[in-house]
Amino acid sequence: MSSSINGAPGRSGTTAPARPLGEMIFAGMIVCIGVVGFVAGAGIPIPPSAGVVGPRVFPFLVSGIMVAIGIGLLIQLLRGHTGAAEEGEDIDPSVKTDWLTVGKLVGFLAVHIALIVPLGWPVAAAVLFFGSAWSLGAKPWWRNAIIAVVLALILQFVFAGLLGVSLPPGFLLEGVEIFNG
Amino acid sequence: MDNFLALLEGFSVAMQPMYLLYALGGVLVGTAVGVLPGIGPAMTVALLMPITYSLDPTAAIIVFAGIYYGGMYGGSTTSILLNTPGESASIVTALEGNKMAKAGRGAAALATAAIGSFIAGTVATVLLSFVAPFVAEFAVQIGPTEYVALMIVAFLTVGALLGASVLRGLASLALGLFIALIGVDALTAQQRYTFGNPFLADGIDVVLVAVALFAVGEALYVASRLRHGPVKVIPVAGRWTSWMRKEDWKRSWKPWLRGTFIGFPVGTIPAGGADVATFLSYASERKLAKGERKKQFGKGAIEGVAGPESANNAAAAGVLVPLLTLGIPTTATAAMMLVAFQRYNIQPGPLLFEVEGALVWALIASLYVGNLMLLVLNLPLVGIWVKILQIPRPYLYSGILVFAAMGAFSVNFTPVDVFVLLVVGVLGFFMRRYGYPIAPMVVGLILGPIFEDQLRRSLAISQGDPIALVSTPIAATIYVILIVIFVLSFWLKKRQQAMEAEVVEEVPVAVAEQKEGGK
Repeated sequence: MSSSINGAPGRSGTTAPARPLGEMIFAGMIVCIGVVGFVAGAGIPIPPSAGVVGPRVFPFLVSGIMVAIGIGLLIQLLRGHTGAAEEGEDIDPSVKTDWLTVGKLVGFLAVHIALIVPLGWPVAAAVLFFGSAWSLGAKPWWRNAIIAVVLALILQFVFAGLLGVSLPPGFLLEGVEIFNG
Repeated sequence: MDNFLALLEGFSVAMQPMYLLYALGGVLVGTAVGVLPGIGPAMTVALLMPITYSLDPTAAIIVFAGIYYGGMYGGSTTSILLNTPGESASIVTALEGNKMAKAGRGAAALATAAIGSFIAGTVATVLLSFVAPFVAEFAVQIGPTEYVALMIVAFLTVGALLGASVLRGLASLALGLFIALIGVDALTAQQRYTFGNPFLADGIDVVLVAVALFAVGEALYVASRLRHGPVKVIPVAGRWTSWMRKEDWKRSWKPWLRGTFIGFPVGTIPAGGADVATFLSYASERKLAKGERKKQFGKGAIEGVAGPESANNAAAAGVLVPLLTLGIPTTATAAMMLVAFQRYNIQPGPLLFEVEGALVWALIASLYVGNLMLLVLNLPLVGIWVKILQIPRPYLYSGILVFAAMGAFSVNFTPVDVFVLLVVGVLGFFMRRYGYPIAPMVVGLILGPIFEDQLRRSLAISQGDPIALVSTPIAATIYVILIVIFVLSFWLKKRQQAMEAEVVEEVPVAVAEQKEGGK
């Protein structure tokens, strides 16, 4: 793989050294899931009614495959064969991973989860959209806010009001007929 | 003849105004999501599943069929007009169409892609109408042992061939199989991997995992390396009626037909899906081109758009053959269609044409209808698709997250599901980052329980003797075919990489940049 034609740092360039560690952890995790699969699989009770092939066989098979593949991946990584990160139209191959943005998005999803029950789905959805748009660099903030609120209300109206999906409207919209299924 | 009558019956259902409206909605949504990067038909079907639960099965299936075909059309618009193509199913096609657009021939590229998709889609749907009942008749006779063999073929081809790295594909498959194990064993009612947690005892919903992997994983991954700045779309000149010149027609019609007849058979066998079909078509067009035209390849040859786009659509129809007749999905979208069927207690497989004949034929009829709608809508509406393509990315991905959260919450109306969405989404992020393909995991998740059931049945019949799994003539044949497909596919993959490297070498810089670390 040619590392760079136009001077942009490629996969084999600046981003490479940091990646094997993360990849090794991921591959190690696959091995661990396999091992846990064996240990927990051995605890699955086999009722006398079970035939020749009980409930443990397939879990053991899958766990075994995971351990084998995980070890295979670790060996590949040690030999320097790293994975090729996915490409896409919106992916800029020349930039480093922006962990802060990923963290913010995960954070706003967590906030969203916490808000659904106390404040209702529209509020939680508006917060998620506003937070995500801000994290991804959309400006100005007031436009983000307007879109967030309008989108949340439209979704609540269409899916809860029209299609009967039980999204909780929250105490703010409790009395509004069109937002309730 | 019976089938022909049944198909007419199907048309009489699909042509009802209400269902026509659903089909229209489906193809519009499908095209829109096909146009948008970051959303695919698989993710859309997954997202819409919980929120279309109030529709009757026929309506829902018609909507999903429209999305399925619409997504194919939309994808070509993106790869032709967006300055940064990169859709996995059509990397070489993207190259030719994109080059044409940059040379001011974008309109012709769009037209040949749309008309080719229509012709391929229609011919392939005709083939589907005749081949599927025939395969179903054969499939009725096969037992659990043969099923196990077929599913192993599906697992291995999907796992090993859908991504760049065989081990990573298989790891992804195994992860899917593992998640599918969580919950209560269907045969013995024992809890497996639930760790005493009542939430896990219900199992983890397939839709939840699919939405998390496709939507949240994708949004997080794109966010980590977002291409900032305005979206650059190559402008299309002129009225759409004058897009195809006489010369373009002359050069396109043969590739359309060749693409169709390459794509359909490749789609029906599990050999890596549309990817292989588009490549085969591209390679053959390149080989058949002579003189001046051969030199155009890599710089915007219309044959290189017409053939692969047709092959892509024909393969999409081909994929429906094993899905409908055997219940075996070979792509992520097909896997989601299978889940959609299951939600309505419809089990695709040999008996589908007997038990749910009316619905299947309505589905097939709606494929014809949807295809025609797509042709009629696509070219005149290209202005709208361009607008959609230009949605600022921060809003696009925020919207995807909101929709994903809504879909997840709607599965059981509990925030716990949205938490699972987040966790699996983070897993999907790391999988993309480290080059693990997503599709095998979804296929494993969906086929896993069916596979285990059939495996245990066939082993119960043989008293636990594993040799029985390979000893019936049909099963043995399937395994031999598996080996052939495997060898052939690996050879094709090598050829594909070699050719892509070659084509890319002729067209430096811009393409080389996005090819880096390629597939």
